[in-house]
Amino acid sequence: MNEFEWLRQTRALREPVTPRRDLWSGIDAALDAAHAEAEKPAPQRNHRRVQNWLIAASFVGLSLFAGSLAVHLRDRTLANATAAATLDAGRWRPNDPRLAGAAVELDAASMELRQAMEQAPRSPALQRLLYRTQKQQSQLRQMEHQAG
Amino acid sequence: MDDVRAASAGDRQAFQRLYRAHVDRVYGAVYRLAGYDHARAEDLTQEAFVRAWQKLSGFRGDSAFGTWLYRLAVNVALMDIRSRGADPVTMMDEDDIPDHGDTPFCAAEREELERAIGNLPPRARAVLVLHDVEGWRHEEIGAELGMAVGSSKAQLHRARGLLRKVLGERS
Repeated sequence: MNEFEWLRQTRALREPVTPRRDLWSGIDAALDAAHAEAEKPAPQRNHRRVQNWLIAASFVGLSLFAGSLAVHLRDRTLANATAAATLDAGRWRPNDPRLAGAAVELDAASMELRQAMEQAPRSPALQRLLYRTQKQQSQLRQMEHQAG
Repeated sequence: MDDVRAASAGDRQAFQRLYRAHVDRVYGAVYRLAGYDHARAEDLTQEAFVRAWQKLSGFRGDSAFGTWLYRLAVNVALMDIRSRGADPVTMMDEDDIPDHGDTPFCAAEREELERAIGNLPPRARAVLVLHDVEGWRHEEIGAELGMAVGSSKAQLHRARGLLRKVLGERS
């Protein structure tokens, strides 16, 4: 069979075909459903808008929180650095190397206790420890004075 | 044209008249592309008319309404074929298809030919139906199916070979 004959046969298949059943009722129902769906978007859009606002508000809230936290941390770091510098400037350093080691240890303990007391200023245990540390520091000063 | 204008303005009854006037041509094309499967052709035809209603406002009258609707329906059927993925016929080696000479199509009855077309792999069937039955050019088929012109020609050649094989075995 040549090309022409083949195409003559296949083109003969190109005929309108009537569906076995009327499809209009299904199309009509689908159009109704699509129409009903198109009516819905208004509240959905409002809902989406509220969601968008909530997301934006939470972003702003988070940004403010992060900003204030950063400022607070920076202030605290500055305060700590200033306190440390002050402490360092006024730190007593004995000439005797044996006493000097003990003085450094007591200074460090004292500073840590002060920092801990910022969190719990009324803690009796911390107050007792700080008092004892300061007493040991003054004993150390007396020892150096007696030695010197 | 009045019905087209009325339907695009939202007149459902005018659209129903358009449906009555064009459904057989639309259904025929979709039915052939769907492999002569009535159930699928019915679903696809309904989908085509729903889309036509939704896109009617974009119809500018550059072509006849029937032609616009027919192209839209064919596109719906082709999208269905595309969504079904790769076509095994592309993997077949042409040498594996036996050549039964020039006789088989002469002996084929129309129903037998339709059944054989219906049994082709979807993509090969789409190319064969569009080219040999609907009279499309390879350029148009390639554009619609997203393939090169050469691929469309190869698919057609293979589809014809498969048909020759099936019809030859029966005859």
